[in-house]
Amino acid sequence: MMTPIRPRVVIVPCSGIGKTYGSVSREAAYEVVENLRPDEAQLVALSLLVMGDDASRAEVTTTPAVTIDGCKLACATKMVQECGGTVARDFAVLDMYRRYRQYKPQGIAELNEGGLQLARALAEEIATVVDNISPRPFAGEGEGGEG
Amino acid sequence: MPEFLETRVDKFTFKVALDRFYNAEGVWAKPEGDHIRIGLSDFIQQRSGDVAFAEVKPVGTRLAFGEEIAVIETIKVNISLGSPVSGEIAEVNPAMASAPETINQDPYGEGWLALVKASNWESDRSRLMDAHAYYERMKGQAEEETRS
Repeated sequence: MMTPIRPRVVIVPCSGIGKTYGSVSREAAYEVVENLRPDEAQLVALSLLVMGDDASRAEVTTTPAVTIDGCKLACATKMVQECGGTVARDFAVLDMYRRYRQYKPQGIAELNEGGLQLARALAEEIATVVDNISPRPFAGEGEGGEG
Repeated sequence: MPEFLETRVDKFTFKVALDRFYNAEGVWAKPEGDHIRIGLSDFIQQRSGDVAFAEVKPVGTRLAFGEEIAVIETIKVNISLGSPVSGEIAEVNPAMASAPETINQDPYGEGWLALVKASNWESDRSRLMDAHAYYERMKGQAEEETRS
């Protein structure tokens, strides 16, 4: 019996420390990899890419990436591209906030409720993208159903 | 294309367009016949951060000098902007609703806020700074903020 090989997705969030939108991006990434899609998505730290960490660079060059940028500098997206990776979808926290104005993010080390809600909304959208790249298992998978 | 005064403070470069006037908040006013085009200075847009929302008072609104003409919400702050001219709003930049980031991208051009039909421009102008005066004020503010 063959076990289907499912592609995984790497999530690369902004590393803006001390920035509210950076915190939202990281909170959203944690929500995806820890709760929403733990089997399909994994986190790659932007700082490791910047430092040239071989394992992290290998991840982004062999796996589609979803990037989350906290500001217009778009460091996460640019760094993945610079590493030779493929950005399957890039999200910007500011664009998300424009669509979810009721969730005004505030706070840095500890986000307010608005920031957490915005992060959850963002995480839900990322999960949908992950699903489109890496289909969720369905009944019968592993018995040759999906191949 | 306007000419600029330019200064570098720390890692930031700030421009001040020479062809317009400025109030103390950094809102510029550019005469165009009997209308005045209004927008935000480069220093204010950089200091405030990426603009998330820009809400300009609607066409037809009558304003006194200094009365609120727009509210800008950025990733850092909410700013109430006072009008540098008295009169009636004749036109609002449609980009403010659909793409407010235009303020960050082109503060002296496509990122204008509104066009006001001036009611007392000569008097209002005397209460504004020319580009050189605003440049000195802005430079002082930028240097002070860098130190703090």
